[in-house]
Amino acid sequence: MKVPAVPVELKLALLAVSATLFYAWVGQLVPQKEVHPPEVVEIAADVTPEQMVGIGKQIFEGKGICVTCHTIGRSGALRFPDLEGIGTRAGSRVPGMSGIEYLVQTLYEPNAYIVPGFIPGMPPANKPPVGLTDDEIKAVIAFLQSMGGEVTVRMDMDLLNPEAGAAVEPQAAEAAVPAAGEAAEAGGDTG
Amino acid sequence: MKLKLPKLSELPRPSGKAGIALGLLLFALAAGAAWKLAVTFDRGAAYRSPIEAEAPPATPRDQALEEQAAAEAEAARTRPYEEAEYRAFPVVGSRVAIWVVAQLHLLFAAFVLAVPMFAVIIEYIGYKSGDKRYDKLAYEFTKLLSVSFSLTATFGAGLTFMLVILYPKFTNYLMHVFSPTFLPYVLLFFFEAAFLYSYYYGWGKFSPRVHLFLGVMLNVVGTGIMFIANAWLTFMMSPRGVAETGALISTWEAVTNYTWMPINIHRMIANVAFGGSIAAAYAAYQFLKAKSDEERAHYDWMGYIGNFVAISGFLPLPFAGYWLASEIYAFSQTMGLTMMGGAFSWLFIIQAVLIGVLFLFANWYLWLGMGRVPGSEKFRPATKWLLVVIVVCFAIWATPSSPISTAGELQAMGGARHPELGTLGVMSAKNTAVNLMILATFVSFLLYRRCGRDPVVRWRRAGNVAQTLIVGLAASSVVFFGILGYFVEAAVRIRLSVPQVLSVLGAMVLATVIDVVLLRGARRAETRWGKISHRSQYALIVLAVTFTWLMGLMGYVRSGLRLHWHVFGVVRDTSVDAFTPTLGYATKVVSVTVLIFFGLIAFVFWLSSLAGKKELSVTAPAAAPEGPRLTAGFQPAPAPSASAGGPEGRPR
Repeated sequence: MKVPAVPVELKLALLAVSATLFYAWVGQLVPQKEVHPPEVVEIAADVTPEQMVGIGKQIFEGKGICVTCHTIGRSGALRFPDLEGIGTRAGSRVPGMSGIEYLVQTLYEPNAYIVPGFIPGMPPANKPPVGLTDDEIKAVIAFLQSMGGEVTVRMDMDLLNPEAGAAVEPQAAEAAVPAAGEAAEAGGDTG
Repeated sequence: MKLKLPKLSELPRPSGKAGIALGLLLFALAAGAAWKLAVTFDRGAAYRSPIEAEAPPATPRDQALEEQAAAEAEAARTRPYEEAEYRAFPVVGSRVAIWVVAQLHLLFAAFVLAVPMFAVIIEYIGYKSGDKRYDKLAYEFTKLLSVSFSLTATFGAGLTFMLVILYPKFTNYLMHVFSPTFLPYVLLFFFEAAFLYSYYYGWGKFSPRVHLFLGVMLNVVGTGIMFIANAWLTFMMSPRGVAETGALISTWEAVTNYTWMPINIHRMIANVAFGGSIAAAYAAYQFLKAKSDEERAHYDWMGYIGNFVAISGFLPLPFAGYWLASEIYAFSQTMGLTMMGGAFSWLFIIQAVLIGVLFLFANWYLWLGMGRVPGSEKFRPATKWLLVVIVVCFAIWATPSSPISTAGELQAMGGARHPELGTLGVMSAKNTAVNLMILATFVSFLLYRRCGRDPVVRWRRAGNVAQTLIVGLAASSVVFFGILGYFVEAAVRIRLSVPQVLSVLGAMVLATVIDVVLLRGARRAETRWGKISHRSQYALIVLAVTFTWLMGLMGYVRSGLRLHWHVFGVVRDTSVDAFTPTLGYATKVVSVTVLIFFGLIAFVFWLSSLAGKKELSVTAPAAAPEGPRLTAGFQPAPAPSASAGGPEGRPR
């Protein structure tokens, strides 16, 4: 009995569908994760430093998208600085700048000082696409300080107005960093 | 008693008039049924007594319904106008609807932009060499354009309407930024239609130079259209020329945003690769359907040319991709790292599988094609080693930085990264792998070119040695910079891909130049077009599907990089779809789009084959002559079945 030949069109259709299904199947093998927009983080005015650290960690790993680039406790060939011990290191990173001043500058004006060996690339944390509020940035600073240092940031501080009591005026900080303009070959420390 | 029913064929056939009367009767019945249904549905909205003749008494429910309707009408009259921000598309949602239509539009547009590029070049070769078979081949490629152009326009119009309907506020914003570009776009589109149809229908009617001019203008105008459309989509990805609030500062700056030119170049090359692969798939279909050796020879040649175009576009594509990626990083490190190290990092493993398949099947097709040429047996052993190189590089490229692991496996590995294989999951290794795959494929081309050719120049031995050295040095250079990447800082490492790319490109150019000069006047065996395994034609189909799927996937990542932004960092997406779906979901959407595209392209092939049947019946097959000599670059020996020029031949 002669078996009827399979039409060419049917063979080609089956081949095209099979190849497509194979690629769709490969797509199911990789990790499946939906990425949702960051949720607004509510921070009360009377939070304790410990609570600030917790909130800051949450923002660091979520809305702040800091972990896209930065690592904690990794060494080797890194694209951006590892942040383990940043709470201690911040105070000595730039001569004349306190730890909190340095962290404020690196979050609001990340390209003002670039850590040697790295490239510039960190977006200002208070502008899109990150777009953290001042309070959220305070919480992130608390988390960063908690990695090896003392948490000195408070919710009632005005980070951008030094006369109000706390940290640093970014423009003044930039002027205080003599190598800032020349260090275009490196990258901000945090974010 | 057994009732014997007459067979259908035994029934009397109605006359023409009776048929018309029957048709009218059926139409009247269908119309009556539809009317009845419509009326029934209309009345179904409110309760009515089943007895129509009796006027229903006004029940409290009726009164309440009337009052409710009056209140709704009054509310509609007094409601203030509100501009909708989003509207929902039924069942699949707005995002998927736009996604599929935009992808189909892009696929057909890519094909329509690509085919004229190589059709004009082939036509020019035919014009310069006086060989009408090239002219016929160019015409056969162009035949695929007409219906595809209509489909491109249809999906383009659909996309525009859907954007206006589903995303009115965002579309309005794009209008605000790009309003000066729309009229030029429409004008160029008009000119493209004029050039395309005059190029297609004017085949053989104009002088060759005028016809070539039409083809060149078709390419110029098509490229202009693509550049304008690219400005819109690249602005969404890497905006420029607007304030943080979104207010327009400069339309020109918005057009010439960070990723505009890299996308222009990347798309142009990718279109050529894609268009070549679809044209080759058409030839493969015709080859498999062919009834005679003449037809098989012709479509084998056509498939070879199509695949040659596809691979010629595919090989430099990663280099254009590097440039695009570096511009993305320059615009936003966050976006760059989202692409390569964040939500989309696993997408590049899927991409590696696709590109591995492309390299494997492209090389396999070439190796099968060697069988057409007597004397190619001596190159067989080399193909085994090329296969080893490609498979190993494929495996390296598909190695994830951090494999999917169970808790036990993580503990055994001492972290997310595998202690040994993790070394291969970084860009230094992957860049090295892809560059070596490109080199291996290039060597396959060189070997194919050598099949059945015997160089006659005195320095042929030195030429062979020089080519071997050049390719060997390029491979060593790629490996050296790849290893160096493990020992230098990030700032240095990311620049090492440049010498790797330059090594490979330089080797390809130098070795090709030597090859062309070396084979000038070479003795050659006749290429037996059509004498090739059917498996080769199925390989062409797989290549076309893979190219299409790859375009869909990379279109997704380019668009998806914006995450929850319509315009990255400027206009936020606040719709229900403002999240990035899983890769599994995305690949399903891409797959459905690819299948729809192939359903439609099959329709295009079918229509083109109808026109082809007429031509084949009017053109006399020619004898199998010796193909034209190589002048520059790579031209294959023409098919023995090639006959006269276009449908009516061409005045020379």
